[in-house]
Amino acid sequence: MMSNAPEPANRVLSDDAILEVVLGAMRTLNLARDAGAQLVVAPDAIVFGPGSPLDSLGLLNLLLDLEEDLQRAGCHVVLSDDRAMSQKRSPFRSVASLVEYVGQISRA
Amino acid sequence: MAKRRVVITGATRGIGKVLAEHYLAAGDEVVGCGRTPSALSHPQYTHRCVDVTVAKEVDQLFEEVRARFVKLDVLINNAGTASMNSLALTPFESAQRIVDTNLLATFAFTKAAVRLMRGSGTARIVNLTSVAVPLRLEGEAIYAASKSAVETFTKVAAKELGPLGITCNAVGPSPIDTGLIAGVPAAKLQAMIAAQAVRRWAVPEDVVNVVDFFLRPESSMITGQVIYLGGAG
Repeated sequence: MMSNAPEPANRVLSDDAILEVVLGAMRTLNLARDAGAQLVVAPDAIVFGPGSPLDSLGLLNLLLDLEEDLQRAGCHVVLSDDRAMSQKRSPFRSVASLVEYVGQISRA
Repeated sequence: MAKRRVVITGATRGIGKVLAEHYLAAGDEVVGCGRTPSALSHPQYTHRCVDVTVAKEVDQLFEEVRARFVKLDVLINNAGTASMNSLALTPFESAQRIVDTNLLATFAFTKAAVRLMRGSGTARIVNLTSVAVPLRLEGEAIYAASKSAVETFTKVAAKELGPLGITCNAVGPSPIDTGLIAGVPAAKLQAMIAAQAVRRWAVPEDVVNVVDFFLRPESSMITGQVIYLGGAG
């Protein structure tokens, strides 16, 4: 067992707070993307899959940025899911599904 | 060279301990882990007792690494276990332990490390494989299969992590006098060494030499590679 590593306290965020963090991570990602490959930053936007310019590497970077932003907000989650790359069932396909997913795993 | 931030698994003894001592001597900061406490004492060394097969313990370790280092430059997945036995006589639980330690712990540490390695610029992951893979070593079916899986994992990880600026390579030691080969008959070890291009026992420093090569800033184009000691394979 770990000898003296403190287990981080996990803060459960409201859906509105998660939404703000998600949109913030998307804005940050856009700073490093070409003008023609910008993500739409809005509560009803597509994130990954048909209709989104985000490829699998872009999704990975977004999720890792999002993990860090959530941790800074006190919410310690790891965003890994077997359905991540699924075009239809990915919890990362839209801002709404991503917010719902983060809420679920942070409360688990 | 700038001080690197290094995590080494299986650092309590054997090759892992020698690697930790080597990088501390080079001025790096090292977090080592193992099932038992370490006798290694150095102001830039932190040792944690971790079961590498327990995902929650790995995550807790990396929370601490994040708090201490912020970013990570080097991960050396050295922890490993073996069990010399006929596959027909190997208990399922032994096979499970070998796969968990050699393969799944490598996955768990790599997954956690990637989160701290983005943006490092010269991030390196080095995995430990074995000449048991190219030699198709009888009596080590599960061990060799787990290390074969580590090699494939290394090559796929290199492709996935290359765009993030992270290289991933593997070194396969030939027989070294460590606890890992304690269960291997002396005659078998001598036969293995006789089959090598370089017919001598390896020493941990031979592994350090290969790891050093992978870690050099000039090795940024070296990824997805497996180097065996002694000319095996």
